[in-house]
Amino acid sequence: MRPLVRLLLSLPNAVRNWPAIVAFCVFHASSCFHLASAADEVSFNRDVRPILSNLCFRCHGPDAEERAADLRFDVAESALESAIVSGDADASEIIARIVSKDPDLQMPPPETGKEVDAEQLETLRRWINSGANYEPHWAYVPPSRVSLREAATRETSTAIDRLLEHSARTSFEPAPRADRRAQLRRLSFDLTGLPPDFNDIASFEEDDAPEAYSRRVDALLASPAFGERLAEYWLDLVRFADTVGYHGDQDHNITPYRDYVIDAINDGMPLDRFSIEQIAGDLLPDATIEQRIASGYNRLLQTSHEGGVQPKEYLAIYSADRVRNFSAVWMAATVGCAQCHDHKYDPYSARDFYSLAAFFADIDEAQHFRSGTNSLPTRRLPEIDVLDRTDRLRLEEVDAAIALAEAAGNGAQLAELKAEKEQIESRKRRTMITQTTEPRVIRFLPRGNWLDETGDVMEPAIPSFLGDLRESLGVASDQRLNRLHLARWLFDVDHGVGRLTARVFVNRLWYLYTGRGISPSLGDFGGQGQPPVHPELLDHLANVLIENRWDIKATVREIVMSDTYRRAVSADPELRQSDPYNELCRSQSGHRLPAETVRDAALEIAGLLDHRVGGRSVKPFQPAGYYRHLNFPTRKYKHDQGVMQWRRGLYTHWQRQFLHPMLKALDAPSREECTAERPRSNTPVEALVLLNDPTFVVAAQAFAARVLRETPTVTDDVARIDHAMRIAIGRDANDGEQVALVGLLQSERERYGADAEAAKRFLSESNDLAHWPTTTSSTERAAWSSVTRAVLNLHETLYRP
Amino acid sequence: MIDHLHRRTFLSRGGVSIGSAALATMLGDSALRGGESRSASGLPAGVPGLPHLPPRVKRVIFLCMAGGPSHLETFDQKPELERLHDQPMPESFTAGQPIAQLRGQSLKVQGPMQSFQRCGESGQTISDYLPFHQKMADDICVIKSMVTEQINHDPAHTFMNTGTAISGRPSMGSWITYGLGSECDNLPGFVVMTSVGGRNPQPIASRQWSSGFLPSRYQGVEFSGTGQPVSYVRPPAGVDRVGQRSVIDAIAAINRQRYETLPDPEIETRLAAYEVAFRMQTSVPDLMDVSDESQQTLDMYGAKPGDGSYASNCLLARRLAERGVRFIQLYHRGWDHHGDLDRYMKICCSLTDRATWALVQDLKNRGMLDETLVIWGGEFGRTPMYQGKGGPGRDHHIKGFSMWMAGGGIRPGTSYGATDELGYNAVEDVVHVRDLHATMLHLLGIRHDRFSYPFQGLDMKLTGVEHARVVSDILT
Repeated sequence: MRPLVRLLLSLPNAVRNWPAIVAFCVFHASSCFHLASAADEVSFNRDVRPILSNLCFRCHGPDAEERAADLRFDVAESALESAIVSGDADASEIIARIVSKDPDLQMPPPETGKEVDAEQLETLRRWINSGANYEPHWAYVPPSRVSLREAATRETSTAIDRLLEHSARTSFEPAPRADRRAQLRRLSFDLTGLPPDFNDIASFEEDDAPEAYSRRVDALLASPAFGERLAEYWLDLVRFADTVGYHGDQDHNITPYRDYVIDAINDGMPLDRFSIEQIAGDLLPDATIEQRIASGYNRLLQTSHEGGVQPKEYLAIYSADRVRNFSAVWMAATVGCAQCHDHKYDPYSARDFYSLAAFFADIDEAQHFRSGTNSLPTRRLPEIDVLDRTDRLRLEEVDAAIALAEAAGNGAQLAELKAEKEQIESRKRRTMITQTTEPRVIRFLPRGNWLDETGDVMEPAIPSFLGDLRESLGVASDQRLNRLHLARWLFDVDHGVGRLTARVFVNRLWYLYTGRGISPSLGDFGGQGQPPVHPELLDHLANVLIENRWDIKATVREIVMSDTYRRAVSADPELRQSDPYNELCRSQSGHRLPAETVRDAALEIAGLLDHRVGGRSVKPFQPAGYYRHLNFPTRKYKHDQGVMQWRRGLYTHWQRQFLHPMLKALDAPSREECTAERPRSNTPVEALVLLNDPTFVVAAQAFAARVLRETPTVTDDVARIDHAMRIAIGRDANDGEQVALVGLLQSERERYGADAEAAKRFLSESNDLAHWPTTTSSTERAAWSSVTRAVLNLHETLYRP
Repeated sequence: MIDHLHRRTFLSRGGVSIGSAALATMLGDSALRGGESRSASGLPAGVPGLPHLPPRVKRVIFLCMAGGPSHLETFDQKPELERLHDQPMPESFTAGQPIAQLRGQSLKVQGPMQSFQRCGESGQTISDYLPFHQKMADDICVIKSMVTEQINHDPAHTFMNTGTAISGRPSMGSWITYGLGSECDNLPGFVVMTSVGGRNPQPIASRQWSSGFLPSRYQGVEFSGTGQPVSYVRPPAGVDRVGQRSVIDAIAAINRQRYETLPDPEIETRLAAYEVAFRMQTSVPDLMDVSDESQQTLDMYGAKPGDGSYASNCLLARRLAERGVRFIQLYHRGWDHHGDLDRYMKICCSLTDRATWALVQDLKNRGMLDETLVIWGGEFGRTPMYQGKGGPGRDHHIKGFSMWMAGGGIRPGTSYGATDELGYNAVEDVVHVRDLHATMLHLLGIRHDRFSYPFQGLDMKLTGVEHARVVSDILT
């Protein structure tokens, strides 16, 4: 056992961290059991490539400049030429070097600090003895046609379940189906980012119809909140923010782009069109206003007009930023690593990096070095002023009516219409767009050095190991390749890499709806990423996405309709211990809700949430002085008033340098780079936010007011506590919860009863924001607010069921 | 593999996380503790296997003089610069070099704007802008051959803190608390303070204390010397300690009960997090309340409690150090002297010189200097060339500048490295930012080349992939 070897080698560490070691051994024992025991066959991709990649590729891999001894292990021909004798491990130099005790011969060299452990050595031996078969890297091979497996032992309903049943060989029984309440809460949180209403839970619990569940799925998929929730993830990927990021971190104009993302998802726009419009909307023939807004994707990067920036340097920085984001979002590739040298682990050369950069060389972006101002917002030309969709449609109607009124000579009506037109136009918002210009010359920069102008001029091209774009798409040789070609190639399943792209995205959908990717490295499908735990399932889902013509909702539906999705969160400690990441999918993941959802849920429970979709960014309460270190200009944060205070979290003003501390404490990213997976922390700082952030205090008071309002005739404290629990988590309080919350209520009644001044101060946090029944005393209001504060902070309230 | 082990141990789903140990301690529940002995605080113990070496210091206080103080008017005396004053800058120095605001302008030499003294027994040369530094010449080791790679403020800070200009990498304070854990159960392991006062300052972004790809509990927590000391640390109005305790107790009782039916380690972590949060509501105000300091101490620093000044922050840095905080970073902004350098140096130095000295003396008097590493410096230096926004000043400069270190393991009263005769290029014993990082880690007992975290398929290190060296010549 590899971990045991390590344990013996480093006993002092092991003693320090004994439980982790145990957990690790058990985990690996089981993963060997369920994954590798399949047929004692060594799989190159699953077993061997990770070893070679991690321990050998750095010097014997794709990077020509670092390559030692002209030997590479990522290419079969080179490896088999000298270092590996197929079928004979003992005669293979690679094995001799690994086991050598001579520091001059030993591999990996001792100074790297890397070593091949006993289990890895055994894997390599078995692989060589069985013929040293190489396989192409899994992520570069199109998804195979998956045979959907008949149910073997258990009755399972969907293809997903059957594939998992086959793939996850384990003695663990799957967890039972979650109860109806948990199913609906999970589904609502996952699809809309909002908790379900108690009445909806009750009616679902009583609905015996066979399609009871699927009807809820379809309703939630059709809800506008679906687009809002999925947009949160998309905005993380493309690094959408309200500010420029560098130096003065001024606001820039981009919110119509966010509306576009939400609308497109809600419209059911296929992923291919959605992507093409963003990468190259401006290049589409007769680009619509929405397509031009979508092209704002290319403007989402961090920019600077700091006095003293060297435009040439920053153009190089922007160029690299684009390649990093583009390749991370659509290819789950770390092409950014090839900026200064060939990629160490993946077949991306430095030339590929600059060839990709050349696709984006036509984007007009140098203007802000001259026109950028230290004002709020700053200028980032080219920008256009646009209306949101509702206004845009209404304006068309108004214009038509004006024409009619003019023709009819109806003066009074005309005046009215013109007034409306004026009013609509005043609601225009400005947004950055992409405008194509004469492409800048992109040179190959030796070691990434922008001062060095000796490198070759690079033409747009896809990474060479993926083929020739011109050939694939049949582009004439005199036409320069552009972003539109690149975007189409990404989604072309016959002539491009569409099938690979599909795999990248379904892996992320699986993560969104189960808590973990099938390949856990959502942003890295390269050799150093983790291969898929269930490759057939991943391929199947990719095929589903393609067969449904890139329909996101249809693919999400496929996932959430599975039995696997509907399982309970397991309480079995043995299962948790042996499969802590829930890779076997025997159970469901009960993780903390994302930052925006935590906020939205609290406001929804309080009855405060504003459900209108789209619009400008808003500023919730924020600690005074939080922006004090910003300058050019200095910032005075003024939180929004009224209903704008209660907008969903995704509309929060996203200040890259000082992200709202509530969002930050709950792991929302600053959106400087692509974020494919958010960490899930659980820290004292988060606890302070949820206890003391005025937004949550006001929410608790509005929630208490709601409870008291909705139970006017109830005199029993327990019944009211039940009501609060129903609103928050969809069920009555159990005995222990009753005891704890009644106890809290009583002690707070006493405390506030004895200190009217304290009650007054506490209630002043919400002022007129909580609508109290007129008959309740301040003491009651304050004491109940303490109860609802506790309810909002419960593990069960904050966690995905 | 060891990296996987680390990752498993430290990600929140990893079963053994901060809270399980903390809670185990609090509840005295050996079943939860899993047989592992930990410090009573139960806070993260750091990466197994660390420290690699016997550590010389327990903590770091990093005094960041943001904006880029001129080395030519602080520690790096250049008579030749004086001689060539007002003459064209020899092109041999500047041709093909990155230049910030002076790009495209004719370049002339600006002589030193301040006189220097040989100070202390060591005879180090320190400028007359820094009379208190002159008094502690024998306590510090000045590195006169620093180089960095970024010429604009924001990326240069990012480079100094994370070793790269690419966003999303962990700051050194995060690396160190991740590696060595925390010694303090009611304060964060990495605390950042930025002082008020001085001239129109350059902005400073919170990414400078970001934990990047490390778990977020290692991110620097910003303390403010004025107003609310830590965001959200104050309970709502009308909720006193008793009220807050009652709410947290009710939450804990219910969560604990839930843990019995659903033994998810995340619940334990949450219980512990709320407990530590509650403690912070007392410990943070206690920390900030300096009424237990003598008037003599306040006078030594020049601190007026609650004013948010650098002097007050230096005093708080000592109090943080006493409480076991691992990495304390103070920013003082306003060192960006493109013009009117003389006037603004006087302002910056009057706000920082004495307090810096006081901090070092105070640590020394309390026997703490030997277990602390103090680092002073900006994100870069300034050009030997004249820039004239207002009176004479200097532009950003990255090819040679000065920083100093003091404390455990550092040879006091020495200087190391040198720039050329005009103070342009570091030419002797060049110290790159990553060498500074390697040396800092070394003093903490960490081998920089063995201290990594897996991210995007790479074993990421604070010192990156290029060669980095421990500057052993400055070590005792």
